[in-house]
Amino acid sequence: MEKLLLLTPLIPIFPLLAFVIIIFGANKNNKLSAWLAIGGIGLSTLTSWLVIAGTIMGGHHVQAEGWRLPIPWMPTGEIVFNMGVGVDGFTAAMLFMVPLVCLLIFIYASEYMEGDPRYARFFAYVSLFAFGMLTLVIADNLLLLFMAWEVMGLCSYLLIGFWFEKTSAKRAGLKAFLTTRIGDVLLFAGMLILYSYTRTLTFHELFKPETLEMLSGTMMWGIPVSALISLLVFGGAVGKSAQFPLHVWLPDAMEGPTPVSALIHAATMVSAGVYLVARMLPLFAIVPDGALRWVAIIGAITAFFGATIGIAQNDIKRVLAYSTISQLGYMMIALGLGGFLAGVFHLLTHAFFKALLFLGSGSIIHAVEHGAHHVNDHHTDPQDMMNMGGLYGRMKRTAWAYFFGTAALIGIFPLAGFWSKDEILAEAWLQWQEAGFMSLPFWAWLAGTLGAFLTALYMGRQIGLVFFGKPRTEAAAHAQEPGNRMTIPLLVLAFFAATLGFINVPFIKGGWLHHFAGEVHAASHALHLEAIPFQVSVAVVSSIVALGGFFLGWAMYRNLKAGQQDPLEKMLGPVFTVLKNKYYVDELYTAIFIKPTVKLATLCAKFDYDWVINPIVNTVGRIGVVSAIISAKFDEIVIDGLGVLGTARFFKWTGKELRLTQSGQVSNYLLTIALSSLTLVGMYLFFIRM
Amino acid sequence: MNIPFILSLIVFLPLLGSIVVMFMPGTKEKEIKNFSIIISLFPFILSILLWTGYDYTQGQYQFVQDYSWIPSLNVRFHMAADGLSIPLIFLTTLLSVLSFWYSSRVIKYRVKEFFALFLMLEMGMLGVFVALDLVLFYFFWEIGLVPMFLLIGIWGQEKDRPQYSAIKFFLYTLVGSVAMLLAFIAIYLQTGTWDVTAIPAMMPFASNPTLAAVAFWAIFIAFAIKVPLFPFHTWLPDAHTAAPTAGSVILAGVLLKLGGYGMIRILIPFFPQTFRYFAVFIAVFGVISMIYGALVSMAQWDLKRLIAYSSVSHMGYFTLGLAAAVYYGDPESQIIALNGAILQMFNHGIITGGFFFLVGVLYERTHTRDLKAFGGLSSRLPKYYAVMMVTAFASLGLPGLAGFISELLVFRGAYATMPAIAIVGIIAIVLTAAYILWKIIQYVFLGEFSPEKWSKIFDVKHWSFGEDMAPFELITMAPLVFGMVLIGVYPSVILRMINHASQIILGSAY
Amino acid sequence: MTIPLSWWLISATALFSIGLYGVLSNKNAIAILMGLELMLNAVNINLVAFGRHITPLEVTGQIFAIFVIAIAAAEAAVALAIIIAVYRQRTSINVEQLDSMRF
Repeated sequence: MEKLLLLTPLIPIFPLLAFVIIIFGANKNNKLSAWLAIGGIGLSTLTSWLVIAGTIMGGHHVQAEGWRLPIPWMPTGEIVFNMGVGVDGFTAAMLFMVPLVCLLIFIYASEYMEGDPRYARFFAYVSLFAFGMLTLVIADNLLLLFMAWEVMGLCSYLLIGFWFEKTSAKRAGLKAFLTTRIGDVLLFAGMLILYSYTRTLTFHELFKPETLEMLSGTMMWGIPVSALISLLVFGGAVGKSAQFPLHVWLPDAMEGPTPVSALIHAATMVSAGVYLVARMLPLFAIVPDGALRWVAIIGAITAFFGATIGIAQNDIKRVLAYSTISQLGYMMIALGLGGFLAGVFHLLTHAFFKALLFLGSGSIIHAVEHGAHHVNDHHTDPQDMMNMGGLYGRMKRTAWAYFFGTAALIGIFPLAGFWSKDEILAEAWLQWQEAGFMSLPFWAWLAGTLGAFLTALYMGRQIGLVFFGKPRTEAAAHAQEPGNRMTIPLLVLAFFAATLGFINVPFIKGGWLHHFAGEVHAASHALHLEAIPFQVSVAVVSSIVALGGFFLGWAMYRNLKAGQQDPLEKMLGPVFTVLKNKYYVDELYTAIFIKPTVKLATLCAKFDYDWVINPIVNTVGRIGVVSAIISAKFDEIVIDGLGVLGTARFFKWTGKELRLTQSGQVSNYLLTIALSSLTLVGMYLFFIRM
Repeated sequence: MNIPFILSLIVFLPLLGSIVVMFMPGTKEKEIKNFSIIISLFPFILSILLWTGYDYTQGQYQFVQDYSWIPSLNVRFHMAADGLSIPLIFLTTLLSVLSFWYSSRVIKYRVKEFFALFLMLEMGMLGVFVALDLVLFYFFWEIGLVPMFLLIGIWGQEKDRPQYSAIKFFLYTLVGSVAMLLAFIAIYLQTGTWDVTAIPAMMPFASNPTLAAVAFWAIFIAFAIKVPLFPFHTWLPDAHTAAPTAGSVILAGVLLKLGGYGMIRILIPFFPQTFRYFAVFIAVFGVISMIYGALVSMAQWDLKRLIAYSSVSHMGYFTLGLAAAVYYGDPESQIIALNGAILQMFNHGIITGGFFFLVGVLYERTHTRDLKAFGGLSSRLPKYYAVMMVTAFASLGLPGLAGFISELLVFRGAYATMPAIAIVGIIAIVLTAAYILWKIIQYVFLGEFSPEKWSKIFDVKHWSFGEDMAPFELITMAPLVFGMVLIGVYPSVILRMINHASQIILGSAY
Repeated sequence: MTIPLSWWLISATALFSIGLYGVLSNKNAIAILMGLELMLNAVNINLVAFGRHITPLEVTGQIFAIFVIAIAAAEAAVALAIIIAVYRQRTSINVEQLDSMRF
């Protein structure tokens, strides 16, 4: 069993190798590249299963306390910083989801991306992406987690901007990187503070009771250090998991190829934020009513707010993107209320059904594009749901898989989403019963339930618009079901979307996942780690809400004609416009952050080179030149003119005047001699003798 | 392996080479180029031996050479290397080899002079890193200026005002050096020795804080100009823009490090308390450099200028780390901060050195550096794109690449000693990402590729090595890229040595 | 019974003055030369008189005088030779006309 766990470090190595080999050689050969990537992640999947088996066999000891492989990595003064990997129940659960979903997405992509000029490059990037996420989940310390986290940021940048010829795509890549980077910097700061106080970043050392005690007892800037760190770490998660107010990048990330969207939204990128918060939960929880509150508040806002935007979008992938934002909000609600496992459970199930939905939307887009080609139409936007309709008849496999995904997402009994979303709402419900009306859990429950209604509404709208009614364009009329490599992953995902919920059904052993992954943070007493009993009232309310919302949406949109006004727009009026424009958050950020920064940069450059600093330098230089000129003039006029030449001129003048005495007359000279002698003698007599 | 006089060999082999090149007939360009490359390989190999031969169980200074030089003034010919200087010596010799290799392909006129001067430059830089006598230090410090001045002035691009830039560079540095020399003399008059290893024990001006502050600032400003620290940085963009590619590489890769090296080698041991007294002030200027440099970079449209300003920003990290290292704090954090500062110097050397090579790659082909002239090159020049991506992301501090490690250490150390300043400085990380991705990557590589635009700027007549990076250019970049990845993944390869030096330097100063 | 020193000196002074006057007032080079001889002889008288007066037992003054006479003779010879040379050149020995060495 220990031996199986020793395979852990290999898990991320395979995709990394695939990346390296593709970049350094295989990139000329498209097929080979795709197979390398699929092979890499396939091996990872197998290895992960072995590791999971090891974890299961290891029993409670491994699942709760974890197994670790530390590596001395960096000397810092007298001591050495350890890097390392580790496995516990939580990691093992993630290891089930991440490589499997990645593998399915890769297989799907190998057909979806066919004909792209940068096919090989795509597989290199996605392999690196998978490497990042796999490293992140097996990291046993925050630093390695952060490194993997940033590698994913890089990959998201590369993949979202994969079709960089499109201005919107290259902008979206940049936006994704910079927005998440803001979160990353907060996380980085949190990590530094944590490191400064604790001298370590290894999780199991951080979560020792005495360390947590110390962190919650120390104050900094008026709040406990643990709360400060938690909020900063949460800032990182907000960026990565696209929570309000840093959610803006995620919808734009739809500019990337659809498998990338699936990868980002399901298996990798956005899960990372939730994973991080879940991993660091003991730190969040150590101060009561501290940082966790904010996680729940942001989660609740995001869950509701994301869902509202979702109902007003026409781009099939954007609807799903806002759905992801909203679902991530649910996970944050769960974690914020201390329900560690509820959040993790939803993270796992969501990965499967959201991957399914994205891949499904990808095959729809693919089909419509195909149809557009068929009728020589190059203007129809293949992602706009208004251009679809009636696709059920043309692509049954995709449609059924999509129905399963939708049902799981909106929480239809007994699919995966029902169990996981219900656990979150039940958590909120139970706490509300304790804390009373109008308390945070109440609002969280309300936001969750309203969100569930909206989720069902926009999914019903989507299903109605895409699959039912009559085709609204020629392209949609000629859409064609894609091949097996795309549809089989859909079916596999549909299977898991339908059944994965059973790993944590409360009736079976009180939730199997609870025992497997839920005891990771057993040492922390502030968390609600015990399994929640099934809440019938919650289940009934959310089922009604879900079915009602879905049928409302479906009914309104199923027979929409081409060119007809959106029924919701008719109903909601200006509110719909606001929603359609995503509350104008992008415009707001452009106005208050981006433009001023660029302006400031220009001003700084002017300040530096044109206005102040460089002119000062140049002025100093010019003062030198001017004083040089002055010195030269002074030299010419005073020193040389008056001094050197002046002396010469004086003697010239006196010589000229005195030469007149040279008459050439001997007698004159003699007289002079005589008189001079007499004068000398006279002076001698006068001065000396006297 | 123990080679006698190894430091002298490292320093003076390039000088010997320079003299030999001067006596070679100027028409034999090929021989001159090959000879220069070969002669520069020797110091490189010796510096590797230096690295492997360094004994961690011994004290700080090793490979010592100490002879009397000018007895009447008590000036000694004292050279030694420690964990601080060995990485920088290695960096210098490495970048020199690469510069010779690269220049041998792209320098087209006055070849003999170029290589002779460049070898002399290498000697000057190496000398600074090993000199342990203030006079010797000053001698090497100044000697490097002249060849650099000529390199910028003669081989600079006419449209970039090379004469103006060269003179600005020279005078600016000289102003600082003169103040430094005066301070050195003052120290000598007080202690009676020029020996860097002997002075700290005598604590110059310990009894008179005002005089100590004056001497400290006289030396500090000389180094700050070289680093360069805001607001002494404006010579840098001009010098970089005008200099030929290899000149920019050396300028960014090594010359800026002379200032940083001097601060650690001279200011910390000589004036520990004064330095500590002004640490917050200096840290503030470091942070201003970081943020301000990044902002100014963001507004540039000339690729080389942009990278030049990014140097200002990146060396701001160094300054912050240094200031944090000397400020009040626990020894571990101080050591981490100094480790970060030293590693940042090394990383900046390979990353920005690499950047300037990459700018050269583009410039040799197109004779323009205007960001708006490019676009969509990512698919046209895939190799170039790949190398540039690694360099760019190393520069913006992507984990797994070199830049991140030093940023992490600097901020970790700085946070522990001066938290507020460190937190403000973190803003620079976002800005760095913004200007690198927005300006460099997006404008050069992304977007629609326009064949007409490209064929207009791509100069096929004068460039015979093909569109994408030629093998010789890839070879130039390979060691640098390898270094970025290696340090990023396993920093111990270099941190072990730096850590050793930091422990001793800070341990004996505080 | 000796003649007092002052007498000698007065007569020598008179002689010197006559010579000086001759030198300054005459235009003929030979006459000037003759004036010079008078002045030299006045000096000789002085030398002999002082010699007798200060060191009566020795003949230093007389020896000096003999030297002066000898040198005067040589000088006269050289001077007359120059005058003859000038006369040959200029057909005149009037010193007023010999002013080619002026400025």
